[in-house]
Amino acid sequence: MTNGKHIPEEDLRLLAAGAIPEEECAALRAHAVECPECAAKLAEERGLAALLALTAPQEKPAATIKAKLFARIRTERDAEERNRWPVPDVANKPDASSAARRAWWNWVLAPLAAALLMAAGIEWLESRRLGEELASVNHQLAVLMNERQRTEMMLDVLAAQDTMSVKMAGTPGAEMATGMVRYNPRKGMVMYTAELPPPPTGKIYQMWLVPATGVPISAGIFVPVEHGARQMWMAEVPLHTEAKLFAVTVEPGGGMPQPTGVKVLVGVVGG
Amino acid sequence: MSPQGSTGELVSDWSLLERVVRKDEAALSALYDRYSGLVFSEAKRILRDAGAAEEILQDLFYQVWRTAERFDAARGSLAGWLLVAARNRAISRLRRKTGKTEELDENGVILRVDLESVAAQNVLLDKVRGVMGSLPEGQRQALELAYFEGMSHTEIAEKTGQPLGTVKTRIRAAMETLKQVLR
Repeated sequence: MTNGKHIPEEDLRLLAAGAIPEEECAALRAHAVECPECAAKLAEERGLAALLALTAPQEKPAATIKAKLFARIRTERDAEERNRWPVPDVANKPDASSAARRAWWNWVLAPLAAALLMAAGIEWLESRRLGEELASVNHQLAVLMNERQRTEMMLDVLAAQDTMSVKMAGTPGAEMATGMVRYNPRKGMVMYTAELPPPPTGKIYQMWLVPATGVPISAGIFVPVEHGARQMWMAEVPLHTEAKLFAVTVEPGGGMPQPTGVKVLVGVVGG
Repeated sequence: MSPQGSTGELVSDWSLLERVVRKDEAALSALYDRYSGLVFSEAKRILRDAGAAEEILQDLFYQVWRTAERFDAARGSLAGWLLVAARNRAISRLRRKTGKTEELDENGVILRVDLESVAAQNVLLDKVRGVMGSLPEGQRQALELAYFEGMSHTEIAEKTGQPLGTVKTRIRAAMETLKQVLR
């Protein structure tokens, strides 16, 4: 309990780390809601604690999750579009006398209302079709925008004067393999091509930047398309990392935090 | 890959979020690409279940889509909110707790570090892991039990056989070290 006083910093820290028992949390949080000073301090401590998430082994979610998310969004949007059409109000019927007074109007209005309803129905169907087309075009646009951003980034790196080129050669047993790395430490970008056979089933290739000091840094996983067009892969690495060499290893699908598999390509910086 | 603007600069979270408010799917897609790995990895570390972690991931980004206008840049960081919200939801699920999640509470998360590009995430990832690796075993264990297992200091004291005061001191000390190194 805070008894109206500010929450001690020690407790704020424990609260942010998730170590305060649930029954004590409510009072502390209630105080933070009312006290901007404690709320600000708690937000800082939470931000610090949130960084612990980075110690979890980093994995990518399945690509299907993103597809499901956007399918959910589009389904909901379509439902909202449908619900936006007004429903005729049948609850408030006119009384008999007013109905009698206006009866002759019905002969004029009824066919007009039917025609309007029909027109509205046609318009609704057309609007729904256009909505679906628009969603599809928006999706294609998003894909094209991402592709454009990627291409611009690649051109930017390739054109930069401080981008270095590192030729990669196959290791014994993979003598036919070749590759080329373009690396810009200032931008923290690695781009590469590789001529390699398809990896064994369940495996992928993983590019590594081996720094002058420290452990190898993953520069992405890739799988060459057999008989496909020449591909270029791109990855971000920590800025200003001095590279000693680049290497490609065979790793389990999804990649590894550190190299574990057979090395198939190696390129020494300045070699 | 981090989304870049037409001139090559990184698009900030808040610019993307403003576009999400206007129901721009490409902006949500960019935010998802930026943070889905971190959120998923955190939830999976807590739950040890990829399917459950994916559900949390999808629900969180769906919430971003539905309530983007409620995020307040003045109150904190989107990345911070995502990480804290993912942690809270995963812990609730782990401990089979029910009840409403405190949206406003979670919104107040201030990150003093940059997580908006993969390069920045990689740098910070190494730094935080370095700090955790350098902590005395007791401090690291106490902090991990609280954050990733959702255990209170009392529960940690019972599990480790350490006095309650020692557990509190260890958690505070570990957080202080993290703060000093990242400052």
